Amino acid sequence: MVRWVDLKDSLSNFWFEFKRQKTGILGVLLLIFWILVAIGAPYITEPDIPEKWRSIWIEYPKTVPPTWVGIFSGVSEAPQYVVPPEELQKYVRVEGTKVIVDIPYNMKYDVPPQDIVIMGISGNSTHKRLKPSLTLKVLRPDGEEITLVSGLKIKGTTNIQVARDSSVRKTVINWVKQKTGIQLDPTKEFQLVTTLDTLKVVFAKLSPDMLDNPQALKGEYHIILEIKTPKGTSVDLSNTKLILTGRTYGYLGTDDKGRDLFAGIVWGSRVSLTIGIATAVLTVLVGIFYGVAAAYFGGWTDELMMRFQEFMASIPSLPILILLGTYFGGHIQLWQIVLLLTVFGWVGIARVARSMAYQIKEQTYVEAAIALGAGTGRIIFKHMVPQLLPYAFAQMALNVPSAVLSEASLSFLGLGDPTQVTWGQILHDAQNAGAAVNGYWWWVIPPGLAIALVALTFVLLGTALDRVLNPRLRRL
Amino acid sequence: MGMGKYLLIRIINALIVLSIVTLVVSALFVKMAEKDLENRIQELVNSEYQSLLQQNKAPSDPEKWREERIAYYKHQFKLDRPYWWRVLYYAKRTILLDFGNTRIPIFGTERNVKNIISLALPRTILLFTTAQIIVIIIGLLLGVKAAQKVGSLFDRTLSILALITTSIPMWWFGMMMLLIFAFKLGWFPANSMPDPNLTGLAHVLDVAKRLVLPVTTIVFVLFGGWAWVTRNIMIGTMQEDFIMAARAKGVPERKVIYGHALRAAAPPIVTMTIFSLLGSLGGAIITESVFNWPGMGRVYWIAIQTNEINLVMGLTFISVALYLIGVIIADISYGFLDPRVRVGASASM
Repeated sequence: MVRWVDLKDSLSNFWFEFKRQKTGILGVLLLIFWILVAIGAPYITEPDIPEKWRSIWIEYPKTVPPTWVGIFSGVSEAPQYVVPPEELQKYVRVEGTKVIVDIPYNMKYDVPPQDIVIMGISGNSTHKRLKPSLTLKVLRPDGEEITLVSGLKIKGTTNIQVARDSSVRKTVINWVKQKTGIQLDPTKEFQLVTTLDTLKVVFAKLSPDMLDNPQALKGEYHIILEIKTPKGTSVDLSNTKLILTGRTYGYLGTDDKGRDLFAGIVWGSRVSLTIGIATAVLTVLVGIFYGVAAAYFGGWTDELMMRFQEFMASIPSLPILILLGTYFGGHIQLWQIVLLLTVFGWVGIARVARSMAYQIKEQTYVEAAIALGAGTGRIIFKHMVPQLLPYAFAQMALNVPSAVLSEASLSFLGLGDPTQVTWGQILHDAQNAGAAVNGYWWWVIPPGLAIALVALTFVLLGTALDRVLNPRLRRL
Repeated sequence: MGMGKYLLIRIINALIVLSIVTLVVSALFVKMAEKDLENRIQELVNSEYQSLLQQNKAPSDPEKWREERIAYYKHQFKLDRPYWWRVLYYAKRTILLDFGNTRIPIFGTERNVKNIISLALPRTILLFTTAQIIVIIIGLLLGVKAAQKVGSLFDRTLSILALITTSIPMWWFGMMMLLIFAFKLGWFPANSMPDPNLTGLAHVLDVAKRLVLPVTTIVFVLFGGWAWVTRNIMIGTMQEDFIMAARAKGVPERKVIYGHALRAAAPPIVTMTIFSLLGSLGGAIITESVFNWPGMGRVYWIAIQTNEINLVMGLTFISVALYLIGVIIADISYGFLDPRVRVGASASM
């Protein structure tokens, strides 16, 4: 029987030794950090990210850098700004048959937002022809007013986006022409209708070259929605939200589907840690028991088991994993990855465990146990395996990095689990979008750093454990 | 056991492994290909029917005609044979390097899997051996240096570097290199596909320039771990009695290290080289696809993206075969370098 006092004593001894390993302490701190991130994922971000991840994030800007880049570049670009339905209600007022929503927006950036998006306006009509109609205006700090959309009929639930709409572009160009008195040649105007960055002009200082070189006009803007509701019609704004799509987004920017990369990184830690730890524990357990069994039985069984071990050792895992990935229809689920990595991972440990178990088997106390008539199970589990535990623990930590890297590699090749958010898949999408070549650094650097940091966490832990638990292996 | 006999046993062992892997892989492959082929037969019969319709030669009994055609193609594709027969058939074809064709041409107009691989393989070997030679040289030099000054700042820096670089996915580091040197600084081309219009020296220079980034990536990620292994083996050797004896009789330190210690440490170092070379092949292959280097990795990427089963099968077989050849070479070199060894080197792996 293991006595509690002994256990406590050996634990405190272990901690005394371990405390002196600086790298080990760093590893422990990093591990705590990762566990907190993984557990806190739903609270740090939103709880439905894995489901949301598979869709396209309409309301979000596409491939924009993080907000904090402005600090380094000196040019502040507008971040995402959302007026949620509850807040929007505060700006609603009714004047007769008109519903007016007047939303103030303090534009204090060098580059204004990309787009004005209004989501979830629903119009109801009991009348045959009459429909509620919407007019969208922007009132500028210099007192000017631009009507971007006028008289848009609302049928059912509608979303409105203005920046890429060519008729909005025309309206804006005409407004500029009227205000500044410039003339445009038709080819230029035609070109502008298809390429103009609308909102840069809407939020620009009035000047003759504001179409080519808009300078942002900072100050308090008002985005005004006027909805005419003729008799028999009504408009429901209870689910309406206003989004000023940012030029930058959040802590880590977005990818080409508008997905928030910070949320991806946070959620990816779960998969990485789960796969890494599960695979490492399973691998080591299988390896240890295989090795111990081979050593205990010896003779023909040992020979046979070691032949099989050699066979497994001479199969390169990655090509086979790729083939199996294609076999499973191009996607390997998480538990399948764990299983496959275990199947190919235990061989090295089994060999070492076997040679260690052979030494233990020769010890007199094992001989005594056999002489006393102890059963196979008792000898293996009670007398041999516990001796190997220190080695096993160090190996578990040391096996996590390779499992993490293998999973990331498979995901990177596009063979990962599509229902999960993984760092490898984020990098796979980045590679497909040519992120490195196009300079989307915020899309490439964080996932890889995260993978490397998780791997490093366990390398640090493993080497420290190895030094403490296996003093015989201690290097100079 | 003599060297010849030992070698023979290793080769037979490798062949057994190869044939078992081929069988297992064929079993999977036949299952995968079955669905693929059935879809293709449907498509073929449909298009045939359409063209007959257009020529006004539509069969009087479409259902019966259809069944006949499907049966004909099933016979053509050997789908009417039992499962185990097809597995053996494919295994035999695979061993004879006959992998069939891909649906979409790769590398221009090439559709034969065997030709695609024979185009890609030399490129992979070129990239990989270049990088590996550099890794070995740098690693050996740094490792020996660290072993000489154990515990020094240099030694510790090297150890930390080794810890960090082994944690980095090589292909991600490749993306970082692209981001910095191809996008930001514009020093090297982002695409590694050699310019087909160049010949002679210009072609060699072009390839060399495109090799710089991938080679640097592989070298950076691998050299630390490699130096660390060399260091540890050297430290073990430096404590042996014969080193003390050599020092005692006044052999210069340089000669002690490079003549006596490194020579004695050579067998494990060489084996470790070959095994680490084989182990890093996977990562290097994925790295290739990051740089669009038209080698095995690129072909793997395309094969997975377009679900080319024949190609995946061919690539798997070739990779396994190459790996086994590497294992045999490791064993032989160990046997040659260390006369004490009677059992294979893989015994210690």
